[in-house]
Amino acid sequence: MQTGTKLSRPAEAESTAAPSREAEYALIERILQGEKELFYQLVRPYERRVYVMAFAVLRNEADAQDASQDALFKAFKHLSQFRSEARFSTWLIQVTLNEARMRLRKNHLEIMRPIDEIEQDDGSYTPRDFTDWREIPSEALERKQVREMLVKALASLAEKYREVFVLRDVQHMSTEEAAEVLGISPGAVKTRLLRARLMLRDFLAPGLNGAWASPSTLPKGTKPWS
Amino acid sequence: MVMKCEEMWREISNYIDGEVSPALKLAMDQHLAGCRQCQSVLDGARNVVHLYGDEKAFALPANFYPQLHNGLVDRVEGPRGRGTAWILGIAAAILLTATVLVAGVRDRGTPQLRAAMARPAIERIKAMVVVADDTKVFHVAGCEYIHGQPHTMSADEAVHEGYTPCVRCLHELYEQSARNLALRDNDVASKDPAMDID
Repeated sequence: MQTGTKLSRPAEAESTAAPSREAEYALIERILQGEKELFYQLVRPYERRVYVMAFAVLRNEADAQDASQDALFKAFKHLSQFRSEARFSTWLIQVTLNEARMRLRKNHLEIMRPIDEIEQDDGSYTPRDFTDWREIPSEALERKQVREMLVKALASLAEKYREVFVLRDVQHMSTEEAAEVLGISPGAVKTRLLRARLMLRDFLAPGLNGAWASPSTLPKGTKPWS
Repeated sequence: MVMKCEEMWREISNYIDGEVSPALKLAMDQHLAGCRQCQSVLDGARNVVHLYGDEKAFALPANFYPQLHNGLVDRVEGPRGRGTAWILGIAAAILLTATVLVAGVRDRGTPQLRAAMARPAIERIKAMVVVADDTKVFHVAGCEYIHGQPHTMSADEAVHEGYTPCVRCLHELYEQSARNLALRDNDVASKDPAMDID
């Protein structure tokens, strides 16, 4: 049995590669048999994903951090309910999503949902901006301003688009996995994903002209596509 | 197959994901080759996928890992924490009990008074004494000053009936009481002194 020292980790540690499914199931089995210290080892590769999922729903760092911890603890408490036919990561993200949604409802933040929330998923969307995009290198993400713009753009999406987008393009889940987590059809996932990508594109397009260096380019509360 | 821009936009996400049929892909490629706007939409959507798919897109809050770790360990190890509190409770109870016991033992272990006369009368009157019909005096068995028909009774009974101790064998009575007291002190851990009086 491992001791508490197993739980220690450097503060700046990044997520580690997830173990194989078999190794993960074996770990879960041992945790369920009482080696609860191993739980941290089980969830360590997914901490960042858990946080990002919570943040995507809550749009607030502090809330997302609390929700992450609550979600992980709920996953620990209900680990016996995990079914081995699913991926643990999918199940964990589902637990996180439910926790974040619950917090959102509790905070009554749903009354602030954007109007897009009640629109129908008819698959139609007209891009508003046709700026020529060049490929943006990953190095651009080193800039805090770029990261903040990405967060701001994501936060501007209605919840249902945010969730799908994060599951598919941030968590890198398949359409089927995202559909399973959200309890919607794969077709609905595709439709929402299309809209999310295009809305984000419209939001971020002005940045290509150097607007990300100038905070005043986008007036507060306005969206490029509205 | 000639596509309109609206049709392009509807399929552009599937195009990025490689989820369009070969025929549709060919038609879209042909459209893109001649439509700068749709090429812009495609490039932009690709960039969105590329940027958000990078792990660096979302910076974690400062101290995220330590806070998450500490909070999680505290909660996962909760039963141990509660167990510790339970053990502390038991320890406190044991300490209290031990204190009471030690206090009791110390009380019972109070040094006996040196003078036999100074010992509690209650110890003396529990001794068995002998009374005779002729006088209202009680004696230790064997006292040469017993006259008349002897009867045995406890000292407290004798005192209660108005007998007084024989001044000649009173010393012997004290000695007998001292022996009884010593016997009882040896058995102090298992006996309640109050029960001896009853």
